[in-house]
Amino acid sequence: MSARYGMVIDLDRCIGCGSCMVACAAENNVPALQQATVRTGLTPIVVRTVSNGQEGAARRETFIPIMCMHCEHDTPCVKVCPQQAVEVDRATGIVMQMPQRCLGCRYCMTACPYHARYFNWWDPAWPAGMEKSLNPGIAVRMRGVVEKCNLCHARLHTAKEKAAAAAKREIDPTDYVPACVEACPTSAIHFGNLADANDPVAKESRSPEAFRLLARLGTEPKVYYKSKEAWVRDLAETNSAPRPEVKHG
Amino acid sequence: MKVTRRDLLVWSAGAAAGLVVTPVPWKILDDVSIWSQNWPWIPQPAKGPVEVKQSACTLCPNGCGLRVRMAGGCPVGLSGVNTNPVSRGALCPLGFGAHQLNWHPRRLRNVKHRGNISSWSEASAAFAKAAREGPIVIVDGHPGRSASSVLENFAEKWGGGYRVAMGPETRSLAPYELWSGVPATSLGYDLENTQTIVSFGAPLLDGWGIPGRFPRLWAERAASMNDPQLRIVQADPSLSRTAARAWQWLQVREGSESALAAGLVRALLEQNLVPAHGAIPLATISEAANETGLSADRIRELARTIVAKPPVLAVSPDFNPAVAALNVVLGAVGARGGIVRSSDRTKKYSSVAGAISNVRAVVIDSSVPWDFAAKSDAEVFRFAAWDGGSSKGDWLLPAPGFLEESTDISTPPAYPVETYAVAANLAKPTFEVQTAARFLANLDASAGTPETILHSRCEQLFRSRSGTLYGQTITPMTEIASTQELEKHLWDGAVWVGERCSAKLACELKEWPSASPSSRAGNWTQPWLAPVLPPLASKLYIESNLRGTPGRTV
Repeated sequence: MSARYGMVIDLDRCIGCGSCMVACAAENNVPALQQATVRTGLTPIVVRTVSNGQEGAARRETFIPIMCMHCEHDTPCVKVCPQQAVEVDRATGIVMQMPQRCLGCRYCMTACPYHARYFNWWDPAWPAGMEKSLNPGIAVRMRGVVEKCNLCHARLHTAKEKAAAAAKREIDPTDYVPACVEACPTSAIHFGNLADANDPVAKESRSPEAFRLLARLGTEPKVYYKSKEAWVRDLAETNSAPRPEVKHG
Repeated sequence: MKVTRRDLLVWSAGAAAGLVVTPVPWKILDDVSIWSQNWPWIPQPAKGPVEVKQSACTLCPNGCGLRVRMAGGCPVGLSGVNTNPVSRGALCPLGFGAHQLNWHPRRLRNVKHRGNISSWSEASAAFAKAAREGPIVIVDGHPGRSASSVLENFAEKWGGGYRVAMGPETRSLAPYELWSGVPATSLGYDLENTQTIVSFGAPLLDGWGIPGRFPRLWAERAASMNDPQLRIVQADPSLSRTAARAWQWLQVREGSESALAAGLVRALLEQNLVPAHGAIPLATISEAANETGLSADRIRELARTIVAKPPVLAVSPDFNPAVAALNVVLGAVGARGGIVRSSDRTKKYSSVAGAISNVRAVVIDSSVPWDFAAKSDAEVFRFAAWDGGSSKGDWLLPAPGFLEESTDISTPPAYPVETYAVAANLAKPTFEVQTAARFLANLDASAGTPETILHSRCEQLFRSRSGTLYGQTITPMTEIASTQELEKHLWDGAVWVGERCSAKLACELKEWPSASPSSRAGNWTQPWLAPVLPPLASKLYIESNLRGTPGRTV
């Protein structure tokens, strides 16, 4: 049976610690380059701070982790890619990026309504010796290609290998958990199979408090958000991605 | 056939046009691109079998449970241990990139004497001379370890002093030490059993205490609940991360925390919400309102709100006697869900807060945070794994880096029960490093060694037969057959958690404390200063807008 892996992120639980960002980068051998900036860095998941626009005691803020939404329908990046370097995996629903096919034209970055894709401007580099700390299950990130979240696909492979070794057809769901989900100290990010109606994540995605960013575009993202706050839910249909606010301290 | 100049030009033009429509140049371009993306000198991950080990994080005194993926003898990935009852599977953001720290460009690889490269033998000779001339002071950042005992023994035998650089959580408990006589290191916050927390700027959800403890607790009992089982009232001048998630946020003026605590006590007593108490603040509610920016009615209402759901606990980010006095008035000291004794130990440590005068030398252990600079004109021997540039030591002595040292970890600061864990040295240092304890033990073997002290502590734990061991399984200590079995479990990453301490805790507050200056709230970057953050932490403050740069954050 094919799965539709997705997430429900409870924004009322996110404390903006950034553990998911660091854990994701460590898992996927993303380098920390000195020349990288907010615009040019490689951050498959990035946590933005947004507010209700009020000041003083009426001000409210929330944190929104943004990553590839793994759009199911008319996936914008798939439609524009001239190299067929992006495809929606039929078995998992994961929007897969194949860096070996990518020629770096960046049409997909322009097409993505969520600004969830990043161009890799530089060869990966680490201080001398630090390459020994890289995850052996993942290749280093290639220069000149577009990158994005692939829901820690290598972990799915490992889970499948484990299931195969145990002569099982299906993986144990606890064996496939993306790094950001594992790292979240408040369990704000829930991961599961949206195609399984009994999966807790599928149930949660049907909650009245659940919403998707720019749902009106009809791309059927598989990343859902959840909040009790109406002003947070209203943000979902704003035309631009949540604008980062520079915060110090 | 005669080839004319015109033929040559026609042929060249035809070849150029033909080349464009053939796939050859594009294929070559593509191949060159792919080839150049995989230059042989581009770093590649280490090869080798992958194994998973359990240990404890040594970045700070909390000792969070660590699941370490190893490949080729090196740690290649870190995550939390869900079965660890102290950290509950969480790590701070720095912890996820900590395995990179051993190759940090600022790693201290050589002994340095006033900026010049020196040697261990010269450092040892210089320290031996200084110790003989004496007196010396040894500064420790994580008291309670076996290595700490070596430092303490050495200081005692050589007529020196042993001082501790306390963290903000321990400093926040210092007023109770003054009023009850119980050392702050034997006290803890019983957060798990409280229902209302009044935080006077403590970054409860942003690195205060053990990274996984309060966020997990909040997620279970408060997050996205209209009527949370755990109410957080956060007094902060601006919308901090904790304030953004608190049940109520009180926007108060900067530095008015003591005044708010005094005003709350006045309001509690005025409305008979707590039993009458001997020591009352001199300031009135109106004066507190003027200072905090809240209205007097708001303070009265707040007093009613916080006692509506007991037990109530007030928490300050650092030393603040007024907030501690509020806890005394609320009856939170020595009560369930309040300030409790974590152990019956009565040994007090001398703080290193003041100047260190009239000493010949100061030894600073690598566990002391970077931002500590000894206020002394003595010769400073600073042990450090990284040269953060702020330690101002005469001697900089390379210490083991992350997971390069076997060490034990005792009760985290402000934790309500005793714990004990061991962090094994899973990574091998590629150059000569020494711990301060080993350095001193080489000079005087009678101070003991961390290994022998660790072993004797395990024997004591085994003989006590109390507590529980949390490893792959949960095992009561009564089921552990020998000291060797206990040690094996601990070296495999298990953590021992003791029973709740039954010793009484009572505070006598004779007069209301004078206001203390407010302290800045710290977070998990506090013991670190750029550039010794794990490189991946740059994702938080360079490659996103999530945080300000560490220099501004701490």
